[in-house]
Amino acid sequence: MSNTPMLRTLLLGATIIAGTAGAGALAQVPPADQPPGSGNATVAPGTPTPPTDAFSAPSPNSPQAPGVNAANIPDGPPAEPSEATPMVEQVTASPAHDDWPGYGRDDRATRFSPLDQITPSNVSHLKRAFIYHTGSKPGPGQVNKWAAETTPIKVGDGLYMCSALNDMMRIDPATGKEVWHFHANEKYESIPYTAACKAVVYYTSSTVPEGEHCHHRILEATLDERLIEVDSEDGKVCEGFGWHGMVNLMKGMGESVPGFVAETAPPPIVNGAIITNQEILDGQRRWAPSGVIRGYDAETGRFLWAWDVNRPHEHGEPKEGEHYSRGTPNSWAAMIGDNALGLVYVPTGNSAADYYSAMRSPEENKVSSAVVAIDVKTGEPRWVFQTVHKDVWDYDIGSQPTLMDFTKPDGSTVPALIMPTKRGQTFVLDRRTGEPVLPVEERPAPSPGMVPGDTRAPTQPWSVGMPRLGFAPLKEADMWGMSPIDQLYCRLKYRRAHYVGEFTPPSIDKPWLEYPGYNGGSDWGSVAYDEKTGILIANWNNTPMYDQLVSRKKADKLGLMPVDDPNYKPGGGGAEGAGAMAETPYGIVVSPFWDEYTGMMCNRPPYGMITAIDMHTQKVLWQHPLGSARANGPFGLPTHLPLTIGTPNNGGPVITAGGLIFVAATTDNMIHAFDIHTGREVWNDVLPGGGQATPMTYEYKGKQYVAIMAGGHHFMMTPVTDDLVVYALDNVN
Amino acid sequence: MSAFMKPQSAAGWATLLLAVIIILLGLPLVYMGAELAFLGGSLYYVVCGLVVTAAGVLMAMGRPVGGLLYLGACAFTWLWAFWEVGFDGWGLLPRVFGPTLLAIGVALCLPVLRRADHARTTHVREVA
Repeated sequence: MSNTPMLRTLLLGATIIAGTAGAGALAQVPPADQPPGSGNATVAPGTPTPPTDAFSAPSPNSPQAPGVNAANIPDGPPAEPSEATPMVEQVTASPAHDDWPGYGRDDRATRFSPLDQITPSNVSHLKRAFIYHTGSKPGPGQVNKWAAETTPIKVGDGLYMCSALNDMMRIDPATGKEVWHFHANEKYESIPYTAACKAVVYYTSSTVPEGEHCHHRILEATLDERLIEVDSEDGKVCEGFGWHGMVNLMKGMGESVPGFVAETAPPPIVNGAIITNQEILDGQRRWAPSGVIRGYDAETGRFLWAWDVNRPHEHGEPKEGEHYSRGTPNSWAAMIGDNALGLVYVPTGNSAADYYSAMRSPEENKVSSAVVAIDVKTGEPRWVFQTVHKDVWDYDIGSQPTLMDFTKPDGSTVPALIMPTKRGQTFVLDRRTGEPVLPVEERPAPSPGMVPGDTRAPTQPWSVGMPRLGFAPLKEADMWGMSPIDQLYCRLKYRRAHYVGEFTPPSIDKPWLEYPGYNGGSDWGSVAYDEKTGILIANWNNTPMYDQLVSRKKADKLGLMPVDDPNYKPGGGGAEGAGAMAETPYGIVVSPFWDEYTGMMCNRPPYGMITAIDMHTQKVLWQHPLGSARANGPFGLPTHLPLTIGTPNNGGPVITAGGLIFVAATTDNMIHAFDIHTGREVWNDVLPGGGQATPMTYEYKGKQYVAIMAGGHHFMMTPVTDDLVVYALDNVN
Repeated sequence: MSAFMKPQSAAGWATLLLAVIIILLGLPLVYMGAELAFLGGSLYYVVCGLVVTAAGVLMAMGRPVGGLLYLGACAFTWLWAFWEVGFDGWGLLPRVFGPTLLAIGVALCLPVLRRADHARTTHVREVA
């Protein structure tokens, strides 16, 4: 736009003059490069430019950069597949009444607690009991990449958690006093897109007798790709696990640099096998490190098996000079195990170079953006259910599946799995077979698409039996703003883009609208489920994106380069913004669908919602916008208005038997409590930072507590702190 | 002689300022609204932009018809907004809130415009 300065002045003037006096409110969305718009097609259709980019790819066999093997753990020879040491029953199998022993509380990730001391009628007495500081936040001169996203776990007398940079700690559940603190000594360079640690895992050993060191252990997977086990009583490493308590997960991964591969989710332990997945930085290059899923022995850290999409029949570690297959779909969501069926359910993402699919193998196309059930004994996949075919929209699955027993109309019970997705389509599957329990329709989707040689799938799956966590496709009249002028600007942006619904194919000649957008529907917050009442609670997003493929020449001009390029500068293109997608013909520019002058989303509110669904009838019980306008507004200014506009939100809900839902997540930096039966907000509190984490609740010495990590989120532009805020009733002793 | 108002009072200056603001708001409506119409979008903005710009120019010339034209455009905008989004509060906000604030200002300026118009017509008659 050549007239940008003038337009900007006019818009600024107009919006200020038209002065809606702060009544406008908004989705706080982050800055990003704007798509270049029309005139971007520098190549004739049908002739994709060969990838002759400025980036010269290092050989996948070249040595890993210093710091990739963060603790310099000796690798040893490649391991053959083996089986796990048999496991004793873990605390998450049937959690003690007072405890919250796992990330999703139990083996089914229900996020439901039987505690009922706090109820809708006394919740107004909820006051801060203590604040605990994890000690991890951006230092001076460091780009803010923080979003702790942590949910503590509580077992017996201990509250256990990790900091954003993977320190582990035990704190006193009543006072917040630190009992021990394990220093992971993680480097800033190891932070991928986000410094996050969602939870630690509590593990009870089957070989170390009770009363001895490391009978009860705390396990975590780290940003710098280590598994670490420490003793739950003293926080010292378990020498019997791996190499001095650690396993190097970069073994066999081939060429990499720190921050390219990371783990932010708690690894599940299924029948004695720790299952690991990893987040590979999006948008870098086609032959990024592998998305391999691996099993390790929970007792010893010994390698068990690998599931590597493009080496489907090799379950051992790669031989000397080889590596796990590159660019395969990576899984970064929290997985869930199933001890009875001996399976782990892996929510997968996309092959590397998310927005271009022509270079993917048929094997990759079968398992991307899917749920893959893997046999934890052998690493063989048992079944696959795909939620998007040939995904080029970054609809990778961020949510943890929740397990439930689904009662069919004929009264029979099916062991089922609920898979929320960023599309807002929630799939309910038989976890023995992957067959849908509720109807799924393959509906026509725009095909063959607009990118030469990269055809789109002719159909896409829709979970028609479940209420959609989303709205109808966007219309021009849905465009928003504070004044007619910025609304008009958004209407223009809408009309300047390609848009034919949810599966609008990526385009080069002009931007396309990606809606629902990669922030959800349901993202990593996942859902909560009350098995007794059958009520499912989901909070979700309504935030479209404005994307455009750019030619290699243009991508080079924009300075997009992958993280392992010697010239890469931090912040120079990355995970959720523009990306080089090196080794493909195109780069990608991704931005929120917003008015970049006012910083307000182009679509009308709400931008975030919370929904209660009765899983017996699959009907919506209630649904309303989530989050107020108090901390957001035009030009990034807080409006201080208590209007419930519905803000973008990251972080899941919790249900208690007291009839309450606790959810923070919203960009108004608040924690909210809702009456589960009416959906009415019965309590809230302003947090010291953004509450982009899932809360948890526990009881200790007769008192119920609610804990939320107010760690903030760099991408959601909420204040970053290292504060774990814990509440309790002030009228209970 | 100039076609534009020669304000003699604070109220006169305020009216001229409001007229200039209305012109400045009308022009981007015309400019961007034309592109929107060309791309197959709503015709409202280009039409409304032309009317509002004309209203601003007439107001700057001290013609009460300019103020009335703006009020008419605002009334039409309400009708159009109801047609497009019904009684939805968030939907109505960008469409009618700002224009209505301005319309209140315009209504307050009407007496000034009448006085200016009276002075102008009197002056013209005297010259004749």
